[in-house]
Amino acid sequence: MGVLAPLFFLGLATLAVPVVIHMIQRERKEVTEFPSLMFIRKIPFHSFRRQRIRNWLLLILRCAAILLLLAAFSRPFFRAAALAAVTSTAREVVILLDRSYSMAYDDRWDQAKTAASDIVNQLGPDDRATVIVFDSGAEVGPRSTSDRASLLGLIGEAELGSESTRYGPALKLAEGIFRESNLPQLEAVLVSDFQRSGVESASGVNFPAGTVVTPIAVTGEAAPTENVSVAGVLFDREYFSGRERVSVAARVTNRGMDVVGSLDVSLAIDGREIETVITELPPNGSSTVNFAPVTIGDRPMTGSVRTQGDLLPTDDVFHFVVSPGQVVGVLIVGNERNVSASTLYLRRALGIGSGPAFSVTTTTVTDFDAGDLTGRKVVVLNDTPPPTGQAGARLEQFVSEGGGVLVVAGERSAWPPDGPDMLPGTLGSPLDRTGRGAGLGFVDYSHPIFELFSAPRSGDVTTARFFRYRLMEAAESATVLARFDDGNPALVERQLGNGRVLFWASTLDNFWNDLALKPVYLPFVHRVIEHLADYTASTPWVSAGQVLNLAAQRSVLAEAGLAEADLVAISPSGERIPISQGERAGFLTTAEQGIYEIHDAMTPSESPLTLAVNVDLAESDLTAIDPDELASALTGRVAGDRGDSPADGPARAFAPEDLERRQNVWWYLLVAVFVLFVAETVMSNRLSRTALNVD
Amino acid sequence: MDTEQTVAGARFVDPKVLARIGSLELLARTVVDGFINGMHKAPYLGVSTDFAEHRGYMPGDDIRFIDWRVFARTDRFYVKQFEADTNANFSVMLDVSRSMSFGSKELTKLDYGRYLAACLTYFCTKQRDRVGLITFDAEIVKRVPPSAKHLDVVLHELDRIEAGNPGSLERPLFRATEFFKRRGIIVVISDFYEDPSKAVNMLKPLSYGGNDLIVFQILDPAEIDFPYDEPTNFQDLETGQSMPVIPEKLREQYRQLVQEHIAALSKLCGENRIDYALFNTATPLDHALFKFLAMRQKLSRVR
Repeated sequence: MGVLAPLFFLGLATLAVPVVIHMIQRERKEVTEFPSLMFIRKIPFHSFRRQRIRNWLLLILRCAAILLLLAAFSRPFFRAAALAAVTSTAREVVILLDRSYSMAYDDRWDQAKTAASDIVNQLGPDDRATVIVFDSGAEVGPRSTSDRASLLGLIGEAELGSESTRYGPALKLAEGIFRESNLPQLEAVLVSDFQRSGVESASGVNFPAGTVVTPIAVTGEAAPTENVSVAGVLFDREYFSGRERVSVAARVTNRGMDVVGSLDVSLAIDGREIETVITELPPNGSSTVNFAPVTIGDRPMTGSVRTQGDLLPTDDVFHFVVSPGQVVGVLIVGNERNVSASTLYLRRALGIGSGPAFSVTTTTVTDFDAGDLTGRKVVVLNDTPPPTGQAGARLEQFVSEGGGVLVVAGERSAWPPDGPDMLPGTLGSPLDRTGRGAGLGFVDYSHPIFELFSAPRSGDVTTARFFRYRLMEAAESATVLARFDDGNPALVERQLGNGRVLFWASTLDNFWNDLALKPVYLPFVHRVIEHLADYTASTPWVSAGQVLNLAAQRSVLAEAGLAEADLVAISPSGERIPISQGERAGFLTTAEQGIYEIHDAMTPSESPLTLAVNVDLAESDLTAIDPDELASALTGRVAGDRGDSPADGPARAFAPEDLERRQNVWWYLLVAVFVLFVAETVMSNRLSRTALNVD
Repeated sequence: MDTEQTVAGARFVDPKVLARIGSLELLARTVVDGFINGMHKAPYLGVSTDFAEHRGYMPGDDIRFIDWRVFARTDRFYVKQFEADTNANFSVMLDVSRSMSFGSKELTKLDYGRYLAACLTYFCTKQRDRVGLITFDAEIVKRVPPSAKHLDVVLHELDRIEAGNPGSLERPLFRATEFFKRRGIIVVISDFYEDPSKAVNMLKPLSYGGNDLIVFQILDPAEIDFPYDEPTNFQDLETGQSMPVIPEKLREQYRQLVQEHIAALSKLCGENRIDYALFNTATPLDHALFKFLAMRQKLSRVR
């Protein structure tokens, strides 16, 4: 017998407590007044300190309760009982069945299910087993059961997934089952194709000592690696005769060591095959296949690029959604004098780019009319006072309804009292910085505008020199996103209704600074306008297993007319998945490869929101690891080896913690303590009552 | 019909007690002087009916006292002398320290002492003695000088006293010696929680002036028998100190110590010609007092 926490036995000193209580508690109960203690003091002190213990049974009960409590806290365990358990032959078997999409290769999946079923059929009468089906995640059936029918049923109903292999979660689950098991022999049976790409996640898994890992590889003698997959697509947008055309370029990869010749690669749009291109792939290389431009309509179209089938068909197709190019309307309002010159850099920067494209219109503040705001998402007040009166009020309303205004400071910038109340602070006078000029001293890289520049070698906005800028005292409700090196605000943001107003303290040309000459100018201007326009790039595809927060994509849902609707997703296999209900409202887990359609649950639409889901191409690499290598990594021994124990001896050397956890003696001790305390309460109450009656 | 008591403290004068001791006299065992002829033998020869002795006539003697019969037989002048009876000063010294407030039954030691003092005072007044009272704890608390008219005052004071402060014999007894210039009877009533030899040493000066000193030790039965069972904290009424006590372990030793204390006090008093009596508050006062006075009367005949 042993204990895990022997230090608790120091608490044996507390046994003195009930003894002392029995010795002295009654004499301190009350005070008796006596004329004089003259004679009592003459009697030797020790003679009346000693007390005869009257209630021995009560004292024993109390001492026993404390003793058992200490014993429970010290967490005792019996070694002899553990040895007896270890010498039996019952097994705890965990069958780990790989269902990642690489198992679709040839007949691997059927082999795996057959192998797993065989393991279940070979279980002894005392054995217990658990089936874990895993890909990147893991699902566990009934834990540690001897019900073979349920185990076989679970294996039979298991289906191939669309996700990649990650051994870690499944092995962690198995480790937990082993640690909870009180059976003497532990065995993990791993049925998989043992792809190397999934092994990294298994680090940190450490099965209990004595665990046997039996790998069953379904790859045959030599694991084949030949596999062609479509790795991805690129879109090249262009406008032809007022219509937008998209050229699709697909990248096709050959993982095999042989040349793949005359490979048919076909493009289908909205389920209709558009074009087939024949290509040739070098060994362990890739090739790009360009398809002819396709004219797209006003709504998103689904498409797929497919190669002719090989032994692993799952990665032979790549789905996507191609949306009409988004155009952000920008109105630049300048002063009358040289609106063309002062907006040159800005117009040139916004003229570049297709994701999104910017539709730029220029006007002057005097010509500005409320009608100019139609179709615009962003207004740039470039070196000019704001429109006043009705036009100013309309501009304020424009922002409140979700539009964006960028106020660019300059020589002629001013903000009259009757101007719209949208400026994120109080505008001051220009400040000259002589010499090398000023730089940006503080930049909030967590803000969407500057997030792009936060990574190393992603552009440095602090290299620009500013020789003059306007002072601004930012309002409390405003947020300063960037400051000059003297602490004055450079870029200030204010939320106004559903829209935003940004104030840039210097010009956006090369008159007051040299930012326009820096490489960061173009992405900076794009980011500012995209932020003001609340632009969200459409996602042409996502990976299987990804969890999407549809509730956060308000603009996308609004464009599809689903902003207020109860959403339901229809998976590629036709399953209806309610999105707006339950704890995970608004979240969609993309488990299947293909096109998901998102409808209004009440009124199904003919043109639903579509979502393309593709498999993780890391799984396309069929390179396998030696199964024994993985097994030895999990146990520290060769696969199938039980360790250094003799064959007929104990199969497992339990650590004291394991023995204690399996036996849980402390629990029984605590129950005994509880019973003793109840008995003590009853007995002491009865004794007190008896004493009172006697008095 | 309700009858109002006209004298405060008259309740302490129990008619039953007086009826029982009425046939006795508290006589001074030593001679005391007084202005009026009373019950006590005076230190002087004087006018009374008890013949004392003859002595030769000296010039200046009252010729009325010449015994003519003796002159006829002897032809010499002899003068007859008589023992004079006179009234005495009777003073009660009552201990009112906190320990006297103890009582395991209804009656505390102080109450018992009050009854005792009141009865004796009344008794002495009836035989025309002058009565006084001194109450004390660690100091003299109240003093009523002896006077033939002070019965009411003494009873009033006995009614008012309360036990309050810790007590000590040394200082009040020493101070009291100043008050007894004239020989008389002094009764000290206390529980005498003091070392016997010390207590007697403190009492002795009271008898130096020829006073007749009587000591009444009053104890509660609980102080003598120690009948407690439960272990408790015993608190000293005098000092307020407390200590855990398991009575059954020390009962015998305690009883023995108390008896030794009583015996020592009694012995030392006897050796110093001090009358000593132990009064147990469980004993009816009339019984105890009757017993004491009877014994004293018996002894007073021996001169």
